[in-house]
Amino acid sequence: METGKIVIEKVRGKSTVTKSFSKYPLKFIIPRKVGPSRVDAVWIYALTYGGGIVSGDDISCKLEIGAGCTAVLTTQASTKVYKSLGSKCSEQSLEAEIGSNSMLVLIPDPVTCFSTARYFQKQVFRVRSDSNLVLVDWITSGRHESGEKWDFTHYKSTNNIFLESDQPLFLDTVLLEQGSIVPLAERMQDYQVIAMVVLLGPMLRHIQGQVQEDVKRMMAKQLQGSPARWDRQMKSNTRRRGYCSNSFLDNRISLSIPEASIGWLGGIAGFVALFLKNGGTVEVPWICSTPWQYVLELLIKG
Amino acid sequence: MEIDMERNNNRKRPASTDLPLQWSQWQLLDSILPTGGFAHSSGLEAAIQTRVITGPEDLHTFVVHVLENTGSLLLPFVYTASKSPSADTLCKLDRMLDAMLTNEVGRKASVAQGSALMRVAASVFSEIPLLKTMRDNFLSSGAVSFHHAPIFGLVCGLLGFESETSQRAFMFITLRDVISAATRLNIVGPLGAAALQHQIAHDAEAITEKWSNRGVEEACQTVPLLDTVQGCHGYLFSRLFCS
Repeated sequence: METGKIVIEKVRGKSTVTKSFSKYPLKFIIPRKVGPSRVDAVWIYALTYGGGIVSGDDISCKLEIGAGCTAVLTTQASTKVYKSLGSKCSEQSLEAEIGSNSMLVLIPDPVTCFSTARYFQKQVFRVRSDSNLVLVDWITSGRHESGEKWDFTHYKSTNNIFLESDQPLFLDTVLLEQGSIVPLAERMQDYQVIAMVVLLGPMLRHIQGQVQEDVKRMMAKQLQGSPARWDRQMKSNTRRRGYCSNSFLDNRISLSIPEASIGWLGGIAGFVALFLKNGGTVEVPWICSTPWQYVLELLIKG
Repeated sequence: MEIDMERNNNRKRPASTDLPLQWSQWQLLDSILPTGGFAHSSGLEAAIQTRVITGPEDLHTFVVHVLENTGSLLLPFVYTASKSPSADTLCKLDRMLDAMLTNEVGRKASVAQGSALMRVAASVFSEIPLLKTMRDNFLSSGAVSFHHAPIFGLVCGLLGFESETSQRAFMFITLRDVISAATRLNIVGPLGAAALQHQIAHDAEAITEKWSNRGVEEACQTVPLLDTVQGCHGYLFSRLFCS
């Protein structure tokens, strides 16, 4: 049984919520005046009582976006996943159907898992060849001001995008859990946030191009000059000094964007994985203050 | 006298059909098999140039990361393909993996190695005519992009390997290829590399055990940092490897 459902359809030429249902612990706020009035978009804020997800919560959401509509689903603050009781897991799932020529912008604040938290998130998107999707999925290392860095027990996030007749277009699952051979904190090195951004569809083509340009420029700057000379005798103490000063890690961000690759679809042209260092502050030179603001700014510009 | 008799018996046998399996097994894992694995560094070259690896001591960790991610993401594909080595299964797995490898560098590397392995296997293991017919069919229909992990599982399955062996073998060649790349990038010497390979074998076995015999719906990325770093490979100013 789902805890929330929203249907958006075109009514008198405007994207309109025609069905909205939610029950504890989920609540939707659908304010009218968020964006400029000339922009036809429904803004939905999803919130949970208590500002976070308690151990054992199971929130499942359904979203239907009719042809030609635009919807933005976001949150008011980071999704906090509190400490787990026993082996109970907190779960959130979203199933979204994006109609022809419509757009879903899913730009929540990052997930923050407290120490020992267990969290599982699954988002499934069903799209058509001309649907548009902006998806941001990100997680911070935890309450790192309190010294909790990658201290949760289990985090699993699945994002699957299917075309009509269940053709897989994009399948991604990230699993971060304690108890592997390499400790989780070591696996994430000094990074405090990981984020994934998916830009899909014909309406986002200009943004895909722009992000690719930005990344190309940034990477050229990062990796210019002679490749790292390898010194087998290099001691670990020297690597902390100097050697890293121009380091990639210090520049807070790395990206990978496969070029428009799934040619017959003309679909996903941009998949961006951002790794931001010093997550709490989210200082990203080329992005405004959060990835989604960057995305939105581009949307408005476009 | 006995030896002579055995030789005579051997001569009467038809070629290759009842050859002990190990000959095919070792050949499949031998680095001389021209599958192009040595053109790939599994992101090692990018990790060095982006200074994710800053000293020889980081190499050990990096290799274990590669193995961990290979185990969680690709081993389920090897397992499923080796369990039911058929054209239908391969088709399904190949399409799924194509959607899962979201980093373009990694995806291209997987296709390149898989295609090469299929080509080699189809002409080397001629006692299994199915390999050749499958390859020809897929090449003409274009239904499959020949991703490495399912092709490896398929070949192992058709050769008659146990699925445990197939999965451990896949981890072995992954380890072998990264270590070989490290040698050629001059991070370790050949002797040091061999020692490191043996040292990591314990971790590799533990990872194999953890991720073996799982269905593809469980496949996931466990070291996302690695995926991102590998994605940078295309931006490197100078490079030795394809991925």
